[in-house]
Amino acid sequence: MEADDLALIERARAGEAEAFRALVVRYQRKVYAVALGIVQDRDLAWDVAQESFVRVHAHLSEFKGDSSFSTWVLKIASHLAIDALRKERTKDKEELDEVRPGDLALGGEGLMATALGDDPLKSALRRELADRMGEALSQLPEKHRTILVLRELEGLSYEELASRLGLHKGTVMSRLFHARRKMQALLREYADLSGGRAGSAREGSS
Amino acid sequence: MSSCLVFAPMIGARPGELNPLEAEALAEHLATCAACQTRLSDAEALSSLLPEALLAEANRRDFATFSDGVLARIPALAPRRAKEGFALGAFVRRHRLLIASALVPALLALSLLVYLALAAPEPAALVDVVAEGRSATVLETRDGPVVLLGDEGS
Repeated sequence: MEADDLALIERARAGEAEAFRALVVRYQRKVYAVALGIVQDRDLAWDVAQESFVRVHAHLSEFKGDSSFSTWVLKIASHLAIDALRKERTKDKEELDEVRPGDLALGGEGLMATALGDDPLKSALRRELADRMGEALSQLPEKHRTILVLRELEGLSYEELASRLGLHKGTVMSRLFHARRKMQALLREYADLSGGRAGSAREGSS
Repeated sequence: MSSCLVFAPMIGARPGELNPLEAEALAEHLATCAACQTRLSDAEALSSLLPEALLAEANRRDFATFSDGVLARIPALAPRRAKEGFALGAFVRRHRLLIASALVPALLALSLLVYLALAAPEPAALVDVVAEGRSATVLETRDGPVVLLGDEGS
């Protein structure tokens, strides 16, 4: 927790609007990023993010400081984002979480790892992949998108994911596997479509 | 490949998330399986790139009105702000720049008026006199009397 989060929380509890505003400004972008990652709609994410802080203010007296303020805010935001999706979603075809032999062949095959690195070609690919990430995320089934965002942006553990999503730990692991695999496959499609620059980067890295 | 089916979902686990037996078996598998080593590298890269991408997207958005929107939605804060709107102190705090920009020219104009009032010469007293058939006007100024002779022919 940032050093003066608690001081701001105390002042906000006492009714000081500007103290609460300071907390909002400090975490608004991360809260929005989590909401956007899950709902994939900028306006809805904006609304969810604002509503998250409204809920935070309403329950400020219940915040004990056991976890960081940001963890608490992000938890509320992801709950609201998932609820918002449930209200809006059309019924997607449900997919099984089970891992089958064919699933092992559809990943990015090193593309993601290649995107990391210091040389200019890899850095360019990294930027391209980051730009493409939002679009790829939007193409994932809702359950895969949600678990990826909760895991990678909110930082939840397997146990926390199991509790939050009402799943067994094994299902969490296999769902994460599928989510990553699909994400990597989508990004590889993009890399292939963009003229094989990723391919060049892969060759350059070997 | 068959063992990959077992271990691939474990890839990306953080320390302590697998039980010791699972963690040891995964480490042994990774030591000999190039495909799962690649999966691990990809999972680590995704962990790094995904937050980076979403935060970059958030940073592209203008948040100037975000906190106002939040505070406006909170009843406990919104009425207080409306009430404060009628209080002079709050009004001055909120509009201090506007007030300052209006006050500066007003104060300058007032200063100029005061200066002109103080620096202006005292009104001269006019005394008309007649001497040797010529009318004259004596103007009493701060520098002493000034005699203005009338026309000789008058």
